[in-house]
Amino acid sequence: MKFRGAEAIVETIDWNGQTVVSKIRNKRGYRHPSLEKRLVVERLRSESRIMARLLSQGIPVPAVYSVNTSDNSIFMEFIDGQTLERALRKKDFKTHLVQTAEVLSKIHSLNVVHGDPTTSNFLVTDKIHVIDFGLSSISDDNEDRASDLRVFLESLDSHHSEINGREIFLAAYSKWPDSKPVLEALEVLELRGRYNLMRG
Amino acid sequence: MSEVILGIESTAHTAGVGIITSEGSILSNQRSVYIPDEGEGIHPREAANHHSEKLPLLFKAALEEANLSPKDITLVSYARGPGLGPCLRTGATAARAFAYAHDIPILGVNHCVAHLEIGLLEGATDPVLLYLSGANTQVIAYAAGRYRVFGETIDIGIGNGLDKFAREAGMGFPGGPKLEKIAEGDELIDLPYSVKGMDLAFSGLMTAAKQKVDSGHSLASVAYSVQETAFAMSCEVSERALAHTGKTELVLGGGVACNSRLREMAMTMAEERGVKCFVPERGLCVDNGVMIGWLGYQMMAADYNITDEDNMVNQKYRTDMVEVTWR
Repeated sequence: MKFRGAEAIVETIDWNGQTVVSKIRNKRGYRHPSLEKRLVVERLRSESRIMARLLSQGIPVPAVYSVNTSDNSIFMEFIDGQTLERALRKKDFKTHLVQTAEVLSKIHSLNVVHGDPTTSNFLVTDKIHVIDFGLSSISDDNEDRASDLRVFLESLDSHHSEINGREIFLAAYSKWPDSKPVLEALEVLELRGRYNLMRG
Repeated sequence: MSEVILGIESTAHTAGVGIITSEGSILSNQRSVYIPDEGEGIHPREAANHHSEKLPLLFKAALEEANLSPKDITLVSYARGPGLGPCLRTGATAARAFAYAHDIPILGVNHCVAHLEIGLLEGATDPVLLYLSGANTQVIAYAAGRYRVFGETIDIGIGNGLDKFAREAGMGFPGGPKLEKIAEGDELIDLPYSVKGMDLAFSGLMTAAKQKVDSGHSLASVAYSVQETAFAMSCEVSERALAHTGKTELVLGGGVACNSRLREMAMTMAEERGVKCFVPERGLCVDNGVMIGWLGYQMMAADYNITDEDNMVNQKYRTDMVEVTWR
């Protein structure tokens, strides 16, 4: 597996005899070298800290094996599952949606927002794993949480319009006792012209 | 027989009349920029007064330069938004007066989309547009019938931010080009770098920059650091949009895209990513009538059906409100 994202190259490699995922933030020539260093270290640190924090709280995220600020790499656990995007095309999609809402609300309850929870950033095995914390941050702001929900719903909408998963997902998310202000913030967010129009 | 389109721009500080043919050959690009009094920003009424004074002269100059008479014009196209109300109405009135007097079809178009479409004239076919101007800071790309805004500023436009910082540091309007001239250094002063997914924020950056000047850093070095930071943010979000959409072309547009450092950074980013970068000449990056005329022609060439609404100005005419029927 090899994938070139917006800011990093993610691939599976052999590391001490086992298959791991390496994520390397490659240098951006357009950025001033000291700005580049500052950003990469900030992001590397934040990403690995958040993953470690979630893992210690029992959230299924890849274990971080090694973080290296000299070549801007993170090595982490390889999870052999299929993406939620694929899993939702099968008939037990409801279970997956409910479990995804549960894990996302748990992450939110730990004051972490994912930043990019599209259906490609969840992996399904016997449970739902959450990956790619490159845009994640520490926040207990309900609008940030609502923005996570919007990203997820939007990717549901664009890739899975046939299953009408919105209600199932939101119903499961609302089981979290603190979800009410988040769902209210979501309503406000979706009323903003930009997001309305983007659905076109 | 080739068509000849006259485009009118008046959304903000620039009054512009451009003439372009259906083959994309630019016959004239006349512009006049309203400059506010020292220490002030754009006053919408004053800007509109400037436009109503200059537009007749610009029409005349454009027709003269193109060596044409009004009867040679086959379409009048004007920017109906987004922009400042009084300025938009002035441009629309001029457009109507000219079109009705000479019995020429008239169409109002979206200013932001025009910035993108003029990039297609440079050879791009399906690009991501990094659109950086005073009021607008957006990353735009075509998807399913519309130009979608993938990222944008969540507070102020990048150009307004630069202008405001420059004004507070004692420089006149427009501040961006003045900052570019004095920007100097290689050491970077740490400033807030605010990228949230594909969105950006500039107000914190500009406030911090002002504080750096107040605390004794040289204006040249702060100007340098502001440019490095703000432009890196802009390049990063456009790179994210390129990765997200899988598109392989980048187009720059808007007044801030005249900045040489920004152009250099965008080209480096495109090269590293393996995508093509199209940078229109400066006269087509800034607000101008040519791009308005060119978009009008694109729409009409695809048999766009003009409704009454197309001839009403709209201050909040967002990029993604336009249904793209001509692609």
